[in-house]
Amino acid sequence: MPGRVRRNTELGLILLGAVITIGAYILASLGRSDVLPADVVPFLVAVLVLLLGAHIANRFLAPDADGLLLPLAALLNGIGYVFIARLDEDLAGLQAMWTAVGIGLYIATLLVVRRTRLLERYRFTVGLLAMLLLLLPLVPSVGQQIGGARIWVSLGPVNFQPGEFAKIAFAVFFAGYLVERRELLGMATFKLGPVHIPDPKHLAPVVIAWGVSLVVMMFERDLGSALLFFVLFLVMLWIATQRVWYVATGFVLFGLGAWFSWTRFSHVQVRVSAWLDPWADPDTAGQIIEGTYAMAWGGLAGTGLGLGFPWKIPVVETDFIFAAIGEELGLLGATAVIVAFLLMTGSGLRIAARASDPFDKLLATGLTTLLAVQAFIIIGGVVRLLPLTGVTLPFVSYGGSSLLANYVLLALLVRISDQSSRRPATRPERERAAA
Amino acid sequence: MPEQLLTVLKICLLALLYLFFLRVLRAVWAEVNPPKRSETAAKAAKPARRSRAKKVKGARRLTVTAPAALKGMAFAVTGEVTIGRANGCTVTVDDTYASQIHARVFQQDGQFFVEDLGSTNGTYLNRKKVTGRMVFRPGDKLQIGNTVMELR
Repeated sequence: MPGRVRRNTELGLILLGAVITIGAYILASLGRSDVLPADVVPFLVAVLVLLLGAHIANRFLAPDADGLLLPLAALLNGIGYVFIARLDEDLAGLQAMWTAVGIGLYIATLLVVRRTRLLERYRFTVGLLAMLLLLLPLVPSVGQQIGGARIWVSLGPVNFQPGEFAKIAFAVFFAGYLVERRELLGMATFKLGPVHIPDPKHLAPVVIAWGVSLVVMMFERDLGSALLFFVLFLVMLWIATQRVWYVATGFVLFGLGAWFSWTRFSHVQVRVSAWLDPWADPDTAGQIIEGTYAMAWGGLAGTGLGLGFPWKIPVVETDFIFAAIGEELGLLGATAVIVAFLLMTGSGLRIAARASDPFDKLLATGLTTLLAVQAFIIIGGVVRLLPLTGVTLPFVSYGGSSLLANYVLLALLVRISDQSSRRPATRPERERAAA
Repeated sequence: MPEQLLTVLKICLLALLYLFFLRVLRAVWAEVNPPKRSETAAKAAKPARRSRAKKVKGARRLTVTAPAALKGMAFAVTGEVTIGRANGCTVTVDDTYASQIHARVFQQDGQFFVEDLGSTNGTYLNRKKVTGRMVFRPGDKLQIGNTVMELR
């Protein structure tokens, strides 16, 4: 029974992850104020209750699922929490609450989505929902502009970023739509001058969905999410049709779009010049400079938890948490975060490769792409590989919407994994020797 | 708290982190390379079963290529294989267009043959209707209802 082996592996890893999280929490307190944290016992109980809760849910709701995704996510969430607690105690309390809600949502998603067929059936409803979520921040009096980007929504006492959920809804919509039309999209039957392209009739809904999302995000000044959606769209189209020229065309379009926004929008120019030469204008690029110094100060093994000065970096709890990890745990700690994301991506793609249903395959690819590309965009921005665009580092950064959405994403991947491991056809070979 | 102790603890924490990844990688490795486990399982099984398993290994197989949901299922062809919807068949296909006992595949003088057993919708070998006994060569495609199998 592969499921039991997987669950036991998961349990072992989760316990090790809990030990690491609690150890880091104690170390951070020792480093900062030379005393054990006052709330170490409640913290220990909370970590174990949350992680074991999710694990037990897996045992009952997804017994054959991959056993590595949940521990890796839990480890990232734990490390992130330790850093948030070390930076800002008020935010830590909120993050603890969001983690609890997130794991609750993870279990709820596993409960509600017993089969991915449910999502496939409601693909257009989900697509519409994605659009509404994306447009919500632009509605006057509901939408809020915080920190330059208009991506927040206030409904009564609740503030959230609907874009975080929209990305999952878009992945579901693209997967459902592309599975239905992938054969038609793979053929170039329509003539446009000298080139053959697929019939626009079949391509239209995806292109419209994608175009609108990009324009909306331009208005909301959320460049990171725009890039994320663009890559999601390209990867899913490529996987669905197996035509590389979609990717090639996409890169050309991306180049044109990037050049256009660089010449037209001042906020894009600021980002690009801060990336190319932050010291030319230290006032606007202060965040990048502080982040770079923090990581340099950390060196190979870091200053030690609680012994650095990460609070000097503006918005360190969300966008720049990676720089804080680089400062206090050094290159080794920062690399560990990247390794965790690599392993999660590997698990996600393995789930996609093993899924027998085309919709499952495509959805798993899309969700993994979202996770991997989002981590790449923000880590790349922090280490100056890419221009900085503010997205959260999944599971690590402070942020309720991001954490909740990523736990839903995780639950869907786990559901796909469980579903495809249980199908007889995906087992290596079933043989019946003739007597 | 002395600084050296904190440094030692920090190194321990980092070591634990990488131990975590090592265990993840080991779990992946165990899943990607499962043959070791099945080998030990085969060794643990009774010797009589082992010898049969060996025989099966060298035999040709009927591998399902369509529909996609059953793709990859394989059945060893030794002696005679009956295909049909009935539970008693060697290969039971869940296909609306298959008869209870639809066709048989058998071996004679080192060659494989396929024969339709009076099915309602017919058996097709490489898209040609099977009449009487027909030679079934490796690589040929056998269609029963919506199910396609290849001899490998």
